[in-house]
Amino acid sequence: MAPPAQSQRSPSPSQPSGKSEVSDLKLQLRQLAGSRAPGVDDSKRELFKKVISYMTIGIDVSSLFGEMVMCSATSDIVLKKMCYLYVGNYAKVNPDLALLTINFLQRDCRDEDPMIRGLALRSLCSLRVANLVEYLVGPLGSGLKDSNSYVRMVAVMGVLKLYHISASTCIDADFPSILKHLMLHDSDTQVVANCLSALQEIWSAEASTSEEASREREALISKPVIYYLLNRIKEFSEWAQCLVLELVTKYVPSDSSEIFDIMNLLEDRLQHANGAVVLATIRVFLQLTLSMTDVHQQVYERIKAPLLTLVSSGSPEQSYAVLSHLHLLVMRAPYVFSSDYKHFYCQYNEPSYVKRLKLEMLTAVANESNTYEIVTELCEYAANVDIPIARESIRAVGKIALQQYDVNAIVDRLLQFLEMEKDYVTAEALVLVKDLLRKYPQWSHDCIAVVGNISSKNVQEPKAKAALIWMLGEYSQDMQDAPYVLESLVENWDEEHSAEVRLHLLTAVMKCFFKRPPETQSALGAALAAGIADFHQDVHDRALFYYRILRYNVSVAERVVNPPKQAVSVFADTQSSEIKDRIFDEFNSLSVLYQKPSYMFTDKEHRVPLEFADELGNLSIGEAANNVVPTQMVEENDKDLLLTTSEKEETKGSRNNGSAYTVPYDGSSTSVFASQAQIESAVSNPTLAGHSPQASFAIDDLLGLGIPATPAVPSPPQLKLNTKAALDPSTFQQKWRQLPVALSQEISVNPQGVAALTAPQALLRHMQSHSIHCIASGGQSPNFKFFFFAQKFEESSNYLVECVINTSSAKAQVKIKADDQNTSQDFSTLFESAFSKFGTS
Amino acid sequence: MPVAASAIYFLNLRGDVLINRLYRDDVGGNMVDAFRMHIMQTKELGTCPVRQIGGCSFFYMRISNVYVVIVVSSNANVACAFKFVVEAVSMFKSYFGGAFDEDAIRNNFVLIYELLDEIMDFGYPQNLSPEILKLYITQEGVRSPFSSKASDKPIPNATLQVTGAVGWRREGLVYKKNEVFLDIVESVNLLMSSKGSVLRCDVTGKILMKCFLSGMPDLKLGLNDKIGLEKESQMKSRPAKSGKTIELDDVTFHQCVNLTRFNSEKTVSFVPPDGEFELMKYRITEGVNLPFRVLPTIKELGRTRMEVNVKVKSVFGAKMFALGVVVKIPVPKQTAKTSFQVTSGRAKYNAAIDCLVWKIRKFPGQTEPTLSAEVELISTMAEKKSWTKPPIQMEFQVPMFTASGLRVRFLKVWEKSGYNTVEWVRYITKAGSYEIRS
Repeated sequence: MAPPAQSQRSPSPSQPSGKSEVSDLKLQLRQLAGSRAPGVDDSKRELFKKVISYMTIGIDVSSLFGEMVMCSATSDIVLKKMCYLYVGNYAKVNPDLALLTINFLQRDCRDEDPMIRGLALRSLCSLRVANLVEYLVGPLGSGLKDSNSYVRMVAVMGVLKLYHISASTCIDADFPSILKHLMLHDSDTQVVANCLSALQEIWSAEASTSEEASREREALISKPVIYYLLNRIKEFSEWAQCLVLELVTKYVPSDSSEIFDIMNLLEDRLQHANGAVVLATIRVFLQLTLSMTDVHQQVYERIKAPLLTLVSSGSPEQSYAVLSHLHLLVMRAPYVFSSDYKHFYCQYNEPSYVKRLKLEMLTAVANESNTYEIVTELCEYAANVDIPIARESIRAVGKIALQQYDVNAIVDRLLQFLEMEKDYVTAEALVLVKDLLRKYPQWSHDCIAVVGNISSKNVQEPKAKAALIWMLGEYSQDMQDAPYVLESLVENWDEEHSAEVRLHLLTAVMKCFFKRPPETQSALGAALAAGIADFHQDVHDRALFYYRILRYNVSVAERVVNPPKQAVSVFADTQSSEIKDRIFDEFNSLSVLYQKPSYMFTDKEHRVPLEFADELGNLSIGEAANNVVPTQMVEENDKDLLLTTSEKEETKGSRNNGSAYTVPYDGSSTSVFASQAQIESAVSNPTLAGHSPQASFAIDDLLGLGIPATPAVPSPPQLKLNTKAALDPSTFQQKWRQLPVALSQEISVNPQGVAALTAPQALLRHMQSHSIHCIASGGQSPNFKFFFFAQKFEESSNYLVECVINTSSAKAQVKIKADDQNTSQDFSTLFESAFSKFGTS
Repeated sequence: MPVAASAIYFLNLRGDVLINRLYRDDVGGNMVDAFRMHIMQTKELGTCPVRQIGGCSFFYMRISNVYVVIVVSSNANVACAFKFVVEAVSMFKSYFGGAFDEDAIRNNFVLIYELLDEIMDFGYPQNLSPEILKLYITQEGVRSPFSSKASDKPIPNATLQVTGAVGWRREGLVYKKNEVFLDIVESVNLLMSSKGSVLRCDVTGKILMKCFLSGMPDLKLGLNDKIGLEKESQMKSRPAKSGKTIELDDVTFHQCVNLTRFNSEKTVSFVPPDGEFELMKYRITEGVNLPFRVLPTIKELGRTRMEVNVKVKSVFGAKMFALGVVVKIPVPKQTAKTSFQVTSGRAKYNAAIDCLVWKIRKFPGQTEPTLSAEVELISTMAEKKSWTKPPIQMEFQVPMFTASGLRVRFLKVWEKSGYNTVEWVRYITKAGSYEIRS
């Protein structure tokens, strides 16, 4: 431990500077050290207190180490405790002096008072000095056998501390197996709980290097252990109950009657006063019933009341933690909570983090029956003093509108927002009206009438301005003065700082031009000229593209820029279902609050590239949409506008259910894109026109998605895989994108396998035992998706597998990609044989 | 793993460390700097109680003028961590005699270190039960800054262990007079629309118990809740007595309550811990009796004048009365002058919170005092847009009244020595978040 002195950069003026006081203390301590006068303990206490208070406020008192140790020869337990605290704090930076304390600590470990034994043992283990570990083994060994449970409890934790200082010493002394014995036989439940925590940590850490450890780790979630702990659960402290419950979630019951037994046993935990126990129980219930759809629904009904209670009791921070979980459940099963929507109404004084979650829940639970009430309530918040919340609630109204319930009333409300004359309300509402129009073109008449009244001067935010410009372009035939508004915007081109707005202005002027040519012509000329002169690359390119396509053929240009629109039916979700399922698997942890699976924020290498997992989930879409890529430049910008995620800036991805846009917004997209590709090549190199197939090949090459390589050459089937293969997800992702599909096949899953798939982890473990590792998985019954990888023995040649299993048809679609194409067939055979054994072994 | 906290810090509002306890070495010692830099000194403070900085997550809570910060490096169980902090703080409070603030911490730091050592080991929560902690804690809480001497009392013998079966109660307790105090405390939450319709309304209640009982008593509590009564009448095969029955939406119990017996027989039976504890919590949304109705009319007369009329009706029994009634009526920021007429209590304008604050110390049932005020505003050119009105808020306490209608029907104490006990039952309803939009 670093001395607190370093962390205290700016001690307040009232705090003593230290130096003289410390030397003063040193003197006094020295005087007292040898004294046996009556009352000396009291004076020592005062001095010790002073030392500790200096230590706390960050004055370095490590120079007193010798004196403190000298004074510690006392029978006074109060003094001892303070001394232990001091020693624990400074031993690490004074390893030599720490040796001085070993002696008296070891002696105290043999004291007749169990409390002193325990305290001394705890302090001994907390020294954290690597070269002193040899002195720990003896006291720990006897501590674990102590007749007093307090000492045993401390000793168990001591073993874990020892493991973190020196794993080998801990393993060599065979402490884990002693802990295992204690866990199953000790009468004191806190000892049992500590054994469980310690063993989980030790074996998880060892599992990567030792087969035995990974077997032991599996044994922790075996039936006898789980049942033993469950049967005693009521004796455990509330915290230990959480620990046990967490372990139970990893257990895979053999049949449904076992599941019901466990649930019946734990039913009353839902009434526990400690919210943490309740949440942990909820997690067990949800995990156990994942494969039993009906029961899973009943579980939702059962856990509803306890969850709502947890939300309304306790501090806002606690509510926040619970609400995050409730949010996750609401997203999964909105209908279950739709009648309880009033619980998600915001209170005026609630912190904004609570309000934000509640708004999202109101959005999620809205359906035919409650939309009116919910939207009415949300409209109240639009006038809220807290502007981010006001914005958020307007967006919520929009999202509900896009969910198709009672659109009529909502459109009216949104239009009222536009008339509220608050800048931010107008801005948010404009973006929403734009989205609504894309989904419900039939409302254009009403909306345009109101939008037409908004002066573009009052709209400053880029997103809102872009939305307004888009509407001006799209509905220029209905808006009387659209060409003139656009013209004045073009005149102020140089004052427009947002490239996004300029891009939209270009497109809007083009669209307007095709609808009302005489009135727009001059504006178009000015816009193209300004655009081509623009310093922003995208704006420049788009202007140039428009210019050339207009010169090439005006009617083609119209078909490209202004194709007949089809209403968007669904706005896609940004977060893949795999990620969501992963988060659900990690219920009752930080993952839920951060809305990302734990590997994204706990593993060092994943902390930054968060996009990876999203992309992994979207891979298949990416492939299908490859032919769209040539026009990506154009599409990208439209996409930007068309996203409903204007919240990007404010919530910075903290809440990711804004809709991204994967459906191309032009119904005729593919054909348009194709023609656009042709045209582009035609424009740049007329001789190539009519040879688009080649062009697309070239593009494919560019993307590394060339024609699959020649069929695999048979080679010796002895393919050995590396048991300890490692591949980090970003590499996996990169390779998956680069490599062609070497093999694609359908494997049938045996019935036992289907049954075992109720817990997808089981498959992961099974495949791992065949040296095929899982890197990402997800899905809901009946469809599961897994990404596996394997490495060739003693070679860094990788095999990547995408495996989509449908349990109802008992079939698995397997796609294999390989660094070494020649061996992919062998690997496939291996994979298939490993896979077919799943459930039978 | 449920918590595995790497470190816990207590900071004052300036960010000075009051207490720090590093449990594990997996986070650096400069974590507290990261917290100060990235959370305390930014606008982030208070926007979210959980933050990730670098590889660590920070959970923090503000309690009076102290921040309690937990640092973890793994995917920890957040709900558990917050619950732990809340429990720990309430335990500290009981040691310090009520307050948990900067001064209390500075005066008790040795005790806090001692407690932190016992309640958490290597980041895992250990025992927080005060009964058991008493065995290990040598320091006495410092109740006032003037008597900071450590206790001279003999240290209780740690070998006097509690038995595993009843972990929350020591054996061999003796009281001269055996007494039980039962407090039913309800807080009623209301959100009423400007049109006077109830948008949302619920009651969260708790039953607090103070036990001074000898030996190992068995207690049984009967309430007028629907499920309990039905079960009872079934078992005795006679119809339930008439009278109001309450439907509880959800109940949670202290760990001492035998939940198996509650589920089968629907009676609350338990062996209580010694001293004060929270026996149960419940939540009710149906059939709530609102103690007060508020009828506001706020008229904006031109741009510089407002007329505020508020009538508050007490709808509980005429013999009862409410205490500490406060009605906060928001007015615009640019309020210049106010004048009042009230039929009861006193009113004044509080510029710090932009509210007219109307206080009535004693408010009898079945009465309806009114407040009428005239508010003059400074005319400003900028503020042409209409003022967004926050809701009217109310605070109150009504003794001997439960908004849910819950009543204790009986409390039976049984102990093998067969002593007599005195039982005291009190009811009180407080305002939770009582909001009326105007």
